Amino acid sequence: MDPLRSWLDAGEVQRLAARLIESVSDPAAPATMGEAGFDEGFVGFTGEGSAPAAPGPAASPLERHEPGHPVSAPPSASGPFLEKIRCFRDWMGREFAAAGVFILDREGAVIFHDGLDERFHVLARSLALASRRPGASTGNVHLKIGARIILEVIPVETACGCLVLGAVVPASLPPESVRTVREALAASASPASR
Amino acid sequence: MINLAVSSQKGGVGKTTVSINLAHAFARAGVRTLLVDTDPQGSVGLSLTRQSRLLSGFYDFLQDPGIPLDRLIVPTRMETLALVASGQASDYEAGGGMGAHLARVRAFLRGAAARGFDICIIDTAAGLFGATGDVIASSDAIMIPQQAEPLGIRSVPKLLEGLNRLRIMNPRLTVLGVCLTMVQHELAESAQAAAALRQLLPAEMLFQTQVPRDPLFVRASARGLPVGALEGGAGVQAVFDSLRAEIEVKLQPGASSRANAG
Ligand SMILES: Nc1ncnc2c1ncn2[C@@H]1O[C@H](COP(=O)(O)OP(=O)(O)OP(=O)(O)O)[C@@H](O)[C@H]1O
Ligand SMILES: [Mg+2]
Repeated sequence: MDPLRSWLDAGEVQRLAARLIESVSDPAAPATMGEAGFDEGFVGFTGEGSAPAAPGPAASPLERHEPGHPVSAPPSASGPFLEKIRCFRDWMGREFAAAGVFILDREGAVIFHDGLDERFHVLARSLALASRRPGASTGNVHLKIGARIILEVIPVETACGCLVLGAVVPASLPPESVRTVREALAASASPASR
Repeated sequence: MINLAVSSQKGGVGKTTVSINLAHAFARAGVRTLLVDTDPQGSVGLSLTRQSRLLSGFYDFLQDPGIPLDRLIVPTRMETLALVASGQASDYEAGGGMGAHLARVRAFLRGAAARGFDICIIDTAAGLFGATGDVIASSDAIMIPQQAEPLGIRSVPKLLEGLNRLRIMNPRLTVLGVCLTMVQHELAESAQAAAALRQLLPAEMLFQTQVPRDPLFVRASARGLPVGALEGGAGVQAVFDSLRAEIEVKLQPGASSRANAG
């Protein structure tokens, strides 16, 4: 028995096990769920030094973009709002291999989604909430969901207020890409045609 | 219908053996049982039906959800037991986004429920990612076979972490717990590993019933049968009846909130 103790952190195991036994509150209640999501699968705040797993070889679409190297022209911001958001979604798919994209408003309501399970919305909402730190601008957060499945959550200040973008991508986005995505969404959500 | 995933981080711990024999135990008790093989290696189908390599199955449905489930569900000699092989298509990993597959796994399970099964026991490939992740994210409950050996127990923290992560995606997942397999009471290391796990995990997370190591299992799987169907298999079948009873108790409404309150 004791040899086992020397390889295992018994306290940690018990904590993890206790969490599994707890009945998780209703998926519609984001606050509690977010806490869970935040601890366990949390990969890191970008720019905070906690390096996310390096993107896989060649397969990663992100590798096409050298830092500072511009990606293809962001979606043009003309036409009705939803149309612009759809263009943005397609652009996210092309540029970052996003398998799913959704956008929440500042109240957490879903204003756009393309079929991803709604649990992702709940998760993104709580991650965004949890990443809000007093006195600091809200950073993006990513959560590893599976092998080459990352939920990237990016709060974006736009003319319509702060929106939360959630995207399922194969590798976490580097800071330059996050900046590009922010600008693209802000432009798409801007009422003025450009 | 209850969806029960049988999964583990590690391979070769007895998932398929537990799935087949547990399905047999439920079916014998009159529970309408569907056993689904979601391991691309396809061992359930392989052991229970001769021609399983040619059967369409779970992965064919993921590729083309238009396939009627009735074409995939294979009846057995027991009226209450049917199975779905893993099938031919297995380019799952290469396929599109995660949301799409989750939706298809769920469509599969809804289809099975609509056909009147009471329980769907899902044998998965080792690991908690890929197709297995989607299955667990769509299941009501999960049980984890675990070989009673010190090295295996080392993987427990990883397993618990993985399960916590999956519960983010599937908050209604009930973790029934770890079931020790291939236990050899006469072997000090095996008994010690079992005792250590008992000390380590909360009681609710560990099945009382243990599956003993028994050469009958190897013989049974070679002949494509649940062990209870073999001569001399009655004793081992009793183990799975007891496992079944434990699962039924754990799945009773309120069981988890009781644990929670304590
Ligand atoms: N209780 C047992 N006693 C003796 N042999 C067993 C027992 N359980 C399983 N085995 C044997 O151990 C081997 C692995 O078991 P099994 O195929 O059930 O594991 P698995 O977890 O499904 O493996 P995989 O991860 O490869 O799918 C098989 O040869 C099986 O016959
Ligand atoms: Mg197996």
